[in-house]
Amino acid sequence: MTLADRIETFRATLTEWLRGLYHGMITHPAYEKIEKEAEDAEDEFMLACFPDAFGIPSPVSYYTAELLPYLEDEFEAWERRLWDRESLIERKGQQYHF
Amino acid sequence: MEPFVFFGGKGGVGKTTVSCAYAYRCATAGVRTLVVSTDPAHSVSDVFDQSFDDEPRSVEGVDGLDAMEIDPEDEMQRHLDEIRESLSEQVSAGMVSEINRQLEMSHGTPGAYESALFDAFVDVMREESEPYDRVVFDTAPTGSTLRLLGLPEFLGDWIDRLLYKRKQSIDLFEKAAIGDMEPRRLLEGDPVIERLRRRKEFFEYAGETMRTEAAFFLVFNPDQLSVNETARAIEGFTERDLSVRGLVANKLTPTPDDDETGRGARYLRERVATERDRLEQVREGFEPPLVAEIESRTSEVRGDVLTDVADALDVDV
Repeated sequence: MTLADRIETFRATLTEWLRGLYHGMITHPAYEKIEKEAEDAEDEFMLACFPDAFGIPSPVSYYTAELLPYLEDEFEAWERRLWDRESLIERKGQQYHF
Repeated sequence: MEPFVFFGGKGGVGKTTVSCAYAYRCATAGVRTLVVSTDPAHSVSDVFDQSFDDEPRSVEGVDGLDAMEIDPEDEMQRHLDEIRESLSEQVSAGMVSEINRQLEMSHGTPGAYESALFDAFVDVMREESEPYDRVVFDTAPTGSTLRLLGLPEFLGDWIDRLLYKRKQSIDLFEKAAIGDMEPRRLLEGDPVIERLRRRKEFFEYAGETMRTEAAFFLVFNPDQLSVNETARAIEGFTERDLSVRGLVANKLTPTPDDDETGRGARYLRERVATERDRLEQVREGFEPPLVAEIESRTSEVRGDVLTDVADALDVDV
């Protein structure tokens, strides 16, 4: 193995590490944060559509029921998130990696 | 006159009679007419002595007149079945029961009945009204009619908010997927947004049609309760930017002949006097004109009597 090759290998490893580090420290938490924010927005949407799931009658739930066939994944994820969620602070806290 | 004519008023004042008489009058004047009843009690059948359902059917003995009766309960069931059908196409078996529970709940909420009625109304305006020059609606009692007419605007705003929320979350999901990652949801071709948009158009159509192509008449009886209710109804219509075209006084007491002096005649004269006061109150105090004064009948309004009532209506055809 020539010196040039060893430098090449070292640089490749270094690049990989750096990318990993950057992804782990900067981009991944950022994606996660945006995704969580998106989920929050979706939760609000679902709540506005189906407040009667919590016993709040809504004048539009007759119409929003039409959306149910297209909201399978969302509906399931929504319910799961609601069961998981202990408090708003806890949920928001998940978005920060201390 | 506008293609859509609505008759409203307190329960039991004779909306069905007046709307059937008006429809009859239109038809005999050569205007192809459809009379639509949304009262689940279905009294149009009784007036024409013939049964109707949710398909327009021609009225025997009257040329150019069709009638139909909408049952909100049936309408609700139909809506429910439709959703269930697309549910079984789209959703995995495991989720069906979960979503089904939600679905049934949403059809049991207080607004569902009105929504079903509203849908039926607008569907008739949009689809069934094609072959007719005039569609006469015999509406449910005032309170719910007013709420019904207020729906388009109210629901339009709501749908706007839902659309905004949905777009916001999809936008965030798209942003979260940087690089080669597949976003969890895509704005393009999203069926939820598509459905919401279609609903929005439906409400916009309804609101626009009610404002520009519909005329409203209120039927009342010459007693204080009915007059007060009418005053409130006119106010409600004005608040919604809809104008009441005219008022119809129904079930007026006939005046006895002068030579009659018995107890019955005295009773009638007294009633006529109080009713005259009420009518005066309506003529002076209310903005919409009094377009008809219909005397009380001893027999049910049918056949020849219907012709009489139709003649008493001073409403353009």
